[in-house]
Amino acid sequence: MKMLVVFSIRDRLKYIGHLDLMRAMQRALRRSGLPLRYSQGFNPHILLGFAAPLSVGSQGLREIMEVPLSAPCSPEDFLSALNAALPPLLQCVSAREVPDDYPAPMSRLAAASYLIRPLEHQEALLAALPGFLTQPSIVLPKKTKRGLQDSDIRPMIHRLEARDGQIDALLQQSPSGTCKPALLIAGLARYLDIPAPRCEIVRTGLYDAGLKPLEEA
Amino acid sequence: MNAEQLARIDELLGRVDRPARYIGGEMNTQIKPWEEGRASFAFCFPDTYEVAMSHLGMKILYYIINKEPDMLCERVFMPWVDMADALRQEGIPLFSLESRRELRDFDILGFTLQYEMSYTNILEMLSLGQIPLLAGERGEEMPIVIAGGPCAFNPEPLVDFIDCFAIGDGERLSVEITRLVGQLRREGLKRAEILWRLSQLEGCYVPRYYQAKYDERGILTSFEPTREGVPVRVRKRLELDLEALDFPEEIPVPYTQVVHDRIALEIMRGCTRGCRFCQAGMLYRPVRERSPERLLELAEKLIKATGYEEVSLSSLSSGDYGQLAELIRALMDRFASQRVAVSLPSMRIDSLVRQSLEETRAVRKSGLTLAPEAGTQRLRDVINKGVTEEDLLRSVTDAFESGWSSVKLYFMIGLPTETDEDVLGIARTARKVLDAYYAVPKERRAPGLRVTVSASTFVPKPFTPFQWAAQDSLDEIKRKQALLRDALRVKGLSFNWHEPELSRLEACVARGDRRLGAVILAAWQRGCRLDGWREHFKYDAWLEAFAACNLDPDFYAARPRGEQELLPWAFIDAGVTQRYLWLENERASQGIVTPDCRHGCEGCGLTRFPGACIA
Repeated sequence: MKMLVVFSIRDRLKYIGHLDLMRAMQRALRRSGLPLRYSQGFNPHILLGFAAPLSVGSQGLREIMEVPLSAPCSPEDFLSALNAALPPLLQCVSAREVPDDYPAPMSRLAAASYLIRPLEHQEALLAALPGFLTQPSIVLPKKTKRGLQDSDIRPMIHRLEARDGQIDALLQQSPSGTCKPALLIAGLARYLDIPAPRCEIVRTGLYDAGLKPLEEA
Repeated sequence: MNAEQLARIDELLGRVDRPARYIGGEMNTQIKPWEEGRASFAFCFPDTYEVAMSHLGMKILYYIINKEPDMLCERVFMPWVDMADALRQEGIPLFSLESRRELRDFDILGFTLQYEMSYTNILEMLSLGQIPLLAGERGEEMPIVIAGGPCAFNPEPLVDFIDCFAIGDGERLSVEITRLVGQLRREGLKRAEILWRLSQLEGCYVPRYYQAKYDERGILTSFEPTREGVPVRVRKRLELDLEALDFPEEIPVPYTQVVHDRIALEIMRGCTRGCRFCQAGMLYRPVRERSPERLLELAEKLIKATGYEEVSLSSLSSGDYGQLAELIRALMDRFASQRVAVSLPSMRIDSLVRQSLEETRAVRKSGLTLAPEAGTQRLRDVINKGVTEEDLLRSVTDAFESGWSSVKLYFMIGLPTETDEDVLGIARTARKVLDAYYAVPKERRAPGLRVTVSASTFVPKPFTPFQWAAQDSLDEIKRKQALLRDALRVKGLSFNWHEPELSRLEACVARGDRRLGAVILAAWQRGCRLDGWREHFKYDAWLEAFAACNLDPDFYAARPRGEQELLPWAFIDAGVTQRYLWLENERASQGIVTPDCRHGCEGCGLTRFPGACIA
């Protein structure tokens, strides 16, 4: 069986990178005493899968990982054991049992929602959102493995609204295309002809192709 | 540190490289509440997070001080240049990782002196903390600045900046110092009074109570107390019962990658081999071991508290630990099912047992490191590294047969009495190691042979038999490096060498006197910091600093000392006597080997300490 887990990364811990997070989670799992499963081969490591890496500097409220287990365990026991072994700013929110053949969260991921608080030009950016969306295409240079490539982010923006002084965005995140919040901000900045503002970014959730929360589907 | 500054820190973190260095919040760290009656100690490691978090000494003192109810310890490390510059620009003082308090809030700042070329970082950190660099200028409200660690055995270059040195084993001494300072500050005692009281603790050296005099050549002619009641000779603090000494049962686990990311168990302190270049081997005498039972208990608790997958057995010469094979086996038996690997970072070639190799290889196969140090038997005898070529080749053959294909060989160039033949001997030895690999049948050996020869430059250190030696000149070292590089152009061999300019400065500071403080300050003022990092090392600025102070680096590095010369560190009693060191020096020049003193006392002087080393 596997445990599908929702966890959050908050405050100062937003600065740890994805590999660091993986290592921290593996160590916490070892501390927890839970019945983990290991890979085969010379350098066995704990089997652990994340839905999507979080950019350094972003907080995450409902991040998702799956943890294969070698023995049955209730979600309550899992959560209390793991949370006891985790630092306060990195805690699990909920857990749910799924069978071994359940598709990995990474394979089902299609979109991610964000709350973005601009630290500069806040009013102008929020006011510009409706107009920004009327553009039929928004082509921006995007850093990829093959260098800078043009990417049209318009079809990847599923929702873009102002909410309590922040930008609430639902953006595509999948193998066929990803729009990261930084790219969205770059697009908005270009639209307003201002330099890209510094922002506080919180990823608020991960979704499947039907836009259902990944942990529920 | 006000609320606005705290908010700005968060904004800064978004702009600097590797912000995870500055956030704290690691597993097994905590913000211990700051309360009335609780003394506060800032452990200041004068290098970056990645180096500091790999240091066992920091983890020991962090644990021990925090365990006491009447004190707390927080960590402060050297920020990288981008962060340091940003802090200055924004007017934000350097802060601790746990509670983000500034240095001035603490009762004590404790610096650890691990490496001479980290001294400009001490000045940088004090400056970033808005603490007056000169000890004499610190007012009543400023923390007491102390320093310990191996380089504290020659404290003189730092006396301008440090209020009190803690010399020797730090576990109990740090707690005593912290308790005393906390108490006296609460009672309202003046700084001068507090320092006086500290000077009465065994192992404490308060520089302001001593005076150095020099002749017209710059040689030290006298070194005496200026006040009655301070010891003429400062004796190091020696904790004889290592087993009874506290050792961490939990250690901070970094998020970000650091140099050594594992549990280090100190199995033994001290060394009996008496290698003549080795300062640590002399300073940490006598040998004291922890029992296998205690080590197993510690390993159990540390694995549980950290989730680490590797336990490393740490000491100066782990192969000499009495029950090494039993310990390794017991650790593997207990923890292999939890997939915890055991590693041995420092192994003497002649005690490398095949069995240990087998045991440790089972779960982790990292490269093997051996340190022949010199390329010929003649020179090895001079430096008293009693290792034969036969030992070396047997060890590497065992290793190759057991599946290792990567070997690192450590050597030094510039050792006393060295000739070109000795330098070329390094290459000959390396080639024999290659031959040993190819002699193992192809089916048995692992593919991908990598033999790395690392040749550092010899630096004469205080409290060693070579403390009177001259260091080779820059030209000589460069010539020898070139000679060796050519001789190592063979497939399968790679050559690492160290920047000789950095080694030259290290030699100056290592055997420096009080006058060097002005040079260190001048170097820092000229922008020197993070000297140990290639991209930030400014040799020219250091040379300018020497010139500005009317001092010559060669006086410190390249001048041989006479037997009668008063050495700046000789006022410290480290256990080993100056007489013994001189005798060893003479034996070195005759190529006479001194055996391991486990086989019979050689009279180094440690027996003068009550209870140490039954002769």
